[in-house]
Amino acid sequence: MKEILTPRERFGLLVIDEKPDRCNIIPLVTSHSAKVKGVKLRDYYTDGEIMARAQIAAIEEYGHDAISIFSEVGIIAEAMGSEFDYPEDDLPVLKKPILAETNIDDISIPNPEKDKRLPVYFEAIEYAYQALGDKLPILAYVPAPFTTGMMLSEADKFLIQTIKEPEYIKKVLKKSAEAAIEFCYHIINAGGLPILVDPLASSSVISPKTYKEFALPYERAVIDFLHRYDLDVILHICGNTTPILDLLPETHADLISIDRVELKTVLEKLSKHLRIIGNYDTSKLLFSSKENIANEVKNMVKLGMTAPKGYIASTGCEVPTNATKENVKAFIKAAKEANYL
Amino acid sequence: MNKTPRKHERNRESTKTNAYFFVSSKISCLRGNPFTETPKKIDLKEWSRQFQKLDTDFINQFYYYKNNDWGRYLFPPATFMVYGARQLKHLKFDNSLASLRLWGFSFNESERLFRAKQSNRKVIATMGDLGTVPIIVMAFPGCIPFYPDCTWWTPFFNESNVLLDRASEMGVPEASCFVRSALAAFDKKAYFPKPDLLFASTGASCDDYSCIMQMVENFGHNITWLEMPYRRHSAKYLVSDKYQTTNQGLEYPERFEDYLVTEYKKVWDKMAELTGINDIELLEQSIKKTNRLRRLIEKIKKLTYQAEIAPFPALEMMVIEFGNLYGYADIDEWLDICETVYETIQERVKKGIGVLKPDAIPIAWVMPTANPILLNLVEDLGGRVVATEYVINQALVEIEQNIEPFRALARSFLNASLIGSTEERVRRIKEKVEQGKVKGVIITNMLGASHCAMETKLIEQMLKDVPVLSIDVPAPLGITEQLKTRLSAFMETLK
Repeated sequence: MKEILTPRERFGLLVIDEKPDRCNIIPLVTSHSAKVKGVKLRDYYTDGEIMARAQIAAIEEYGHDAISIFSEVGIIAEAMGSEFDYPEDDLPVLKKPILAETNIDDISIPNPEKDKRLPVYFEAIEYAYQALGDKLPILAYVPAPFTTGMMLSEADKFLIQTIKEPEYIKKVLKKSAEAAIEFCYHIINAGGLPILVDPLASSSVISPKTYKEFALPYERAVIDFLHRYDLDVILHICGNTTPILDLLPETHADLISIDRVELKTVLEKLSKHLRIIGNYDTSKLLFSSKENIANEVKNMVKLGMTAPKGYIASTGCEVPTNATKENVKAFIKAAKEANYL
Repeated sequence: MNKTPRKHERNRESTKTNAYFFVSSKISCLRGNPFTETPKKIDLKEWSRQFQKLDTDFINQFYYYKNNDWGRYLFPPATFMVYGARQLKHLKFDNSLASLRLWGFSFNESERLFRAKQSNRKVIATMGDLGTVPIIVMAFPGCIPFYPDCTWWTPFFNESNVLLDRASEMGVPEASCFVRSALAAFDKKAYFPKPDLLFASTGASCDDYSCIMQMVENFGHNITWLEMPYRRHSAKYLVSDKYQTTNQGLEYPERFEDYLVTEYKKVWDKMAELTGINDIELLEQSIKKTNRLRRLIEKIKKLTYQAEIAPFPALEMMVIEFGNLYGYADIDEWLDICETVYETIQERVKKGIGVLKPDAIPIAWVMPTANPILLNLVEDLGGRVVATEYVINQALVEIEQNIEPFRALARSFLNASLIGSTEERVRRIKEKVEQGKVKGVIITNMLGASHCAMETKLIEQMLKDVPVLSIDVPAPLGITEQLKTRLSAFMETLK
């Protein structure tokens, strides 16, 4: 079926409470696009043009509804001083967190135009915006303060410090939030719509109490900044977020992207006030059959489309780098078909 | 101006800034102008830097439909660029609060129309007549007029062929005027909501536009047509005709006035049927409000175009002039914005400061440019727009208030450029040329608009005492180096 709306028009209708021709379909096609384009991952996350070209190749291959500019969640922490290894065909790996040897007071807010790989984002956004920005939203994934904070530190030490030295951790988080806001500011001016991602604030990692005290206020600070620009903000938290579902409206996010949570539960709790994004199990894109994916996605979309404030069909997390093209296509085809039934 | 819609209803509480993080300079005076810099034209990034200085409470002061829950619009150009208005990356804007309000409000229109419908207002498409039917619509409480025709700017602000390509697929290819993007917008239902009523003028109107509206009707929209008579004074149709003169000194057969009264009453009756309201006093009030706006715009134009140094850029002035047609779907807020613009311009003129160099070359602009960047370019090349003929002069003149309102509307409309001779169109510009106030004239033709092709030559001939540059505005993304060179060479000849 020929589609009359562009993804940008479709997304525009969603965020203004109008019903588009079908639901937006935005699986988290991030580094997987490097495989689609046939480029090494290291080139993908160190060269903005390559990242953009890979994203465009994925759009051409799959026909989903947004460009996703993202490498990994350490990008702000690296610009603040943490060291990362760049494997040739894998994502960057934290090698030496800056707070292992430096006090937070001695760390400055990075300059997104110059520091480490932050400029890669702008290069990618500007290239993609120029190429397809009139037809697709350009989403730029920004690590939230809690996740950045953990990438500045040794993870176990950071978590212990939330109990033993909470004020110090809040100082770290405040600085991380300032860095995220500065990064968002530049993303907006390049034409990207920032998405806040906070995988390490998942209930699979921290308790609801820790989330409420150490993650949520800083997510909200970034989101409030974006609301000054009237932007519709997506918050994505990986893993299980069932225990914190009731807290999510307090983040002020407009769209909630969920992972390992019962979609039905999320719809019951949140969908009257928030738009819902999710949440197909990404491991199935690796290991399941096309037929199975098609069946499950259709059911998911049918359920998701009952959300009164709107729904975006997506994966619960990033599409695995090595997922087969056939399986990703099966996801998208099934999501489109479910809409037209 | 239309844009891709944005934003959903959001609890106002959620927009409160956590000042702890980033507000560096608190604005103490909330209502006043927080931007005290010297007037200048700035780009999108600089606007974002200025915007950072604003406290969130300040931003929250400005909203449409008097709804402070979801009606906020004071956002910088970057916001609209993120949602697809790609040309904003290349444009330059005035750096005043007045300009920020003007841009935020006009770019917000698409969202505003959807919100209007969602909040049980009636959204009425008023097409083609350019300035009169909206006055009737606005007389009915809760009724919002808008011009789908104005979608012709969207492909240019978005630097996109999306709408034009869709129009081609629907059978209206590039041989037709850019107004064909309105047809695609009707089809997509993503730029404005389905109107509750559609009025479209035909007859002495742009023929390409009329054809597009016929197609809109063919695709299932129920249109109420209004016939526009051709005004003519140099040769008489009927010997028995009695002639009248408009308040702009243009002659017309008296029976045309009667004819228009009948057409406008048809609009009134349709609106009365839709709303169940039939109170002619409301029309008188609507005329009064419209006149208030028209007087204000006239003062803005006069002050701006006659000032020693240009106090406001040509691009913003075009947006202001077109706001006269229907107040960008919220005339009350638009009036307030125009008051701010006027205050800003007054202050600048008083101080002898402005946005262009004092020796900028005065030029007149004929036809609104489909591509806004041309206005920027000409100013960058040392030009200054001091007179315009945007074929909407009927929307700029005052409407009589001491006669029967439909007759007043008819008389006002009979000033329209679109229904008169070429000679009348260039009359005012010719006067300015003769007074030495205009050194050159730029005509921006609309590619595919059939009347342009014939009229441009006539205008050139009538303005033979002044250099005239005629440009065919190319499709979006089509501003070539060759076109820039032509503009540059033209401006050089005027120096």
